[in-house]
Amino acid sequence: MANKILSPQEKRIEDNRGQVVFSKNSRIQRLYDSFQGSRSSVDVQRAKYFTESFKTTEGQSLVLRWAKALYHVAENIDVIINDDELLVGRVGGQGKYGLIYPELDGCFLQSFAQQAANRVESPFEISDEDLRIIQEEIAPYWDGKTYYEDLARSLPEDVLKITYDPVDTFTSRFIANETSSMRSALQWVHDFGKGIDQGFEAIKAEAKDKLDRLNPFDPHDSIDKAEFYQAIIIVSDAIILWAQRYSDEAKRLAGAVTDDKRRQELLEISRIAAKVPRYPADSFYEAVQSQWFIQLFSRLEQKTGATISNGRMDQYLYPYYKKDMDAGKITKDFVKELFQCMWLGMAQYQDLYVSPAGVKFNEGYAHWEAVTVGGVDQEGNDAVNDLTYILLENKREFPLNYPDLAARIHTGSTREYLDQVATTIRDGAGFPKLLNDEEIIPLLVAKGADIASARDYAVSGCTEVRMPNLDTFTTPCAFINLGAVLELTLRNGRMAKYGNELLTVETGQPEDFASYEDFEQAFIAQERFILRQTFRQQYIANRTRPKHFASPLGSALHALCMEHGLDLHSEHIPGGVDLGYFDFIGLASVADSLAAIKKNIYENKTLNWQQLLAAIEADFEGFEDIRQRLLHSPAYGNNDSYVDEIAKTIDRVGVQFAKENARYLGVNIDLRYVSQSANVPFGKVVGALPNGRKAGTALSDGSSASQGADINGPTAVLLSNFNTKNTNYINRASRLLNIKLSPSTVAGQDGNEKIIAMIRAWCKLKLWHLQFNIINRETLLKAQQTPELYRSLLVRVAGYSAYFVELSPDLQEDIIQRTEHELTA
Amino acid sequence: MEEGIITNIQHFSTEDGPGIRTVVFFKGCPFRCKWCANPETQQFQPELGWSAGACLKCGSCVKQLKKYNISIKNEEISWDSGSSSRKLPSYKDLELACPTKALHLIGKKYTVDELIKILLEQKPFFDETGGLTISGGEPLAQPHFALSLLEQAQANGIKTAIETTSYAAWDTVANIARHIDYYMTDIKVMDSDVHKEWTGLPNQKILSNIKRLIQEFPHIHFRIRTPVIPGVNDNPTAIKAIADYLKPFEKRRKLEWELLKYHRLGLPKYASLHRPYPMGEVELPQDKFEELHRLADSLFKSII
Repeated sequence: MANKILSPQEKRIEDNRGQVVFSKNSRIQRLYDSFQGSRSSVDVQRAKYFTESFKTTEGQSLVLRWAKALYHVAENIDVIINDDELLVGRVGGQGKYGLIYPELDGCFLQSFAQQAANRVESPFEISDEDLRIIQEEIAPYWDGKTYYEDLARSLPEDVLKITYDPVDTFTSRFIANETSSMRSALQWVHDFGKGIDQGFEAIKAEAKDKLDRLNPFDPHDSIDKAEFYQAIIIVSDAIILWAQRYSDEAKRLAGAVTDDKRRQELLEISRIAAKVPRYPADSFYEAVQSQWFIQLFSRLEQKTGATISNGRMDQYLYPYYKKDMDAGKITKDFVKELFQCMWLGMAQYQDLYVSPAGVKFNEGYAHWEAVTVGGVDQEGNDAVNDLTYILLENKREFPLNYPDLAARIHTGSTREYLDQVATTIRDGAGFPKLLNDEEIIPLLVAKGADIASARDYAVSGCTEVRMPNLDTFTTPCAFINLGAVLELTLRNGRMAKYGNELLTVETGQPEDFASYEDFEQAFIAQERFILRQTFRQQYIANRTRPKHFASPLGSALHALCMEHGLDLHSEHIPGGVDLGYFDFIGLASVADSLAAIKKNIYENKTLNWQQLLAAIEADFEGFEDIRQRLLHSPAYGNNDSYVDEIAKTIDRVGVQFAKENARYLGVNIDLRYVSQSANVPFGKVVGALPNGRKAGTALSDGSSASQGADINGPTAVLLSNFNTKNTNYINRASRLLNIKLSPSTVAGQDGNEKIIAMIRAWCKLKLWHLQFNIINRETLLKAQQTPELYRSLLVRVAGYSAYFVELSPDLQEDIIQRTEHELTA
Repeated sequence: MEEGIITNIQHFSTEDGPGIRTVVFFKGCPFRCKWCANPETQQFQPELGWSAGACLKCGSCVKQLKKYNISIKNEEISWDSGSSSRKLPSYKDLELACPTKALHLIGKKYTVDELIKILLEQKPFFDETGGLTISGGEPLAQPHFALSLLEQAQANGIKTAIETTSYAAWDTVANIARHIDYYMTDIKVMDSDVHKEWTGLPNQKILSNIKRLIQEFPHIHFRIRTPVIPGVNDNPTAIKAIADYLKPFEKRRKLEWELLKYHRLGLPKYASLHRPYPMGEVELPQDKFEELHRLADSLFKSII
């Protein structure tokens, strides 16, 4: 009867005194216990063997060097099989580990190695021997050769100064920040189905066949393409060898164990690892092991943003599942156990960022190898099947953050499916996240995809999507600081943080703007100037990336790469759809600021520019009345057209600029709002803003409202999102949208109905992404500490409602107590 | 066009009927329940309100709204509320004067069309179960406006719910009920003298209306609510009396009885209206409430 404010999952954890308990499965519990206490450590093997190989292949083509390096890693990296494992394969040592990719940002390795264990964000342990290997064997080789250094050297002075400190070319300025030196490609999904169904012997045969057919008189064929197909053969051999080493190790262990049951398991593992991913899988178990090998080997190949996502698992694994279930060979419990072995494998891998900016953008050790479920199939019919439901159920029972489950929704999604999705959201920490077929599929088609591929998209990384045989690699996109754009407008092309240096263009002093329209024009001029510089920055990144990275494994699984003999990192691949992005950070903070200026200075005349600028200069110290007036001005996220129109204008300038200028880059380059945690470091360089935000604090996140400013409930947040989209342009992509709900508002079956209603409305409004955050007691306690960030937190008791922060401390305490003992149906 | 006076409009309400709802809180109520958590909905005319937490005590209102005799005393804003006929400051006056909206107007006039426009924006969220809830105050106290709003909402495919005392002439209640899908009403206490003492009015009309509604409107879903209030009905006899009244409807589909625990969350609202809180310091212990809840549970099938 008592409904704690904790979500059911949190409650389970609390009931077990903070221990994560997998009550149903002792194997899973033991596997988890084997690593959960360990600290994250750096594993240097990948970097060491990769570098060793590179030292011996200088002068050869990049894709060939990459394949040879992967082969060298596959030959030498430790092969470890732990007790209880059903799925084998790991790309680092015992416990939780992260890998390093010196080809990307090795120039930061020396300083990273010394600070890794002590840094505030995401610390990593590193052994003395590994430290020596980094300092003596790895870092010196890459000195001057990394992608990062090449990029920094290539940026023209006027682009450099909004990117890095122009003196050290090292410190990010967080104005228009490149992110291409943090990861070699934005995010990616393989066609896992191809790897599982065909196996790498078949891929090798395909490459050999292509080699045989090359025109010996055309050097593009006889040299470039020949090297590409040779690389495909080498990388296929590499992954086959690596799996075979697991087969051998399993056989060895089987001879050594005394437990009969485990011996049988190891012999089965040995049989499977000798078979996949070399040959086609025949059973569900083989298919999952094949996928796991491919997924893991990808981590050795390169560091994509978010790590390689898992694609539509409920689709490509379904034939194997159905066949074995129909034949009575597997049970639902076994299917879940295998999946949980995979999730535990993911949980041990940590996404390690080396560069200072990379760490700040990706706080924590999060990675998003999204598993996609649901949506429509290639013909537009609902694609949900039994495996979809098992994956959802599995998410409810498995209390870790992995996998990052993404559910596709369309207008024809069934009630049963939505009910299962809603139950999972309620039970977990807001998972699955939702992606909207009704927005995404038409946009992909408009950008050049065929309808079948568009309908077959998989979620990739945090909110993006991929068509695994049609998409091409994307240079990680630039993040544009809208807060900085506003400060540049207020300071005539300068920022307080960077002194008197003219960073952009002079657009005039605020006091001289006779009307709001004049001021807005100056803002737009700054916005367009930053966009121009950002596109130049991206042009250089696009051009630089293929010189530094290759992806033979990714290419082996991509139809167009295999057809044209081109690496997936190539700038263009015939027939491919090139999707690129730029990010706006801080939309709500800036729209609210512009609205506050319009309202208070030009309409109500309750303030003048001198007062506002003085208040900003003082970070509102001594100007609390002005700050409060600004904080109480119209704010984005409330379905208020006054400010939503302004946000829409800011968006329109972006998409219009993309429409006019993407052609010069030769790729789609679309506006998205996916800040991850970048709104925090971006906020640090921006002074106080006219929406009352204090200097150095976080900017608004994704397409969400300014912290605490959405005081009309979550429906208004969705409507503001809808209101601010320029749907007459196609130059847009994902908008990250988080909605906070308290567990009590969505408790019980009635709570499911409410979540379903929200999902259906969101689907009809054609918004891209939605994730629910179920707030907890911690949130209420934080609201007591920093009430200004929680103005929107509504407390509901039947027949009564109030904003939490407006209650007295005693009543707040009462609410905290009350919500924990609330009576529910 | 006819106007109604509304205290506020709340979206994504999840506690006032099934699904996701927009609640239109009417302003004005014939009762003066001593435990009322929403005292700002009691008077029928707009009034000034002041939120202590948001107020900067900057004195801007004292200077800019001179003719309304606003003053700061003991860290509190007060104003001359004696003559209710006195013209109130306009929304614009207040927006210009008060930087934080701490001093604000409670109560705004809307036409049915204006409310329907707002509801239609929210309609995607109502899905199959949610919709409009009219609440208050007492919606039956503005019967023509309420009826017209409900008719228009239904004409636009929006489901309707009401939170009401059921205190009105039968014809009025019945007219409204014809346009209601989900009906929430209080039975506070069966003893009419006790009812009058604590709420200002007797309960005979309420009890006869509720009985007739349940009998004559089989399609409506009823939720009967009893707020358990110290000194009023926090004893087994009072709860049993209500259970006896409801007993004949125990087998009716779509009818539940809900016990709500007394709370003091309305306190800041009394302060902001400069009214004393009639309940004083009294509290309802959790175990006492749970005991009464168990009793109700043993006496009636559909208890919440």
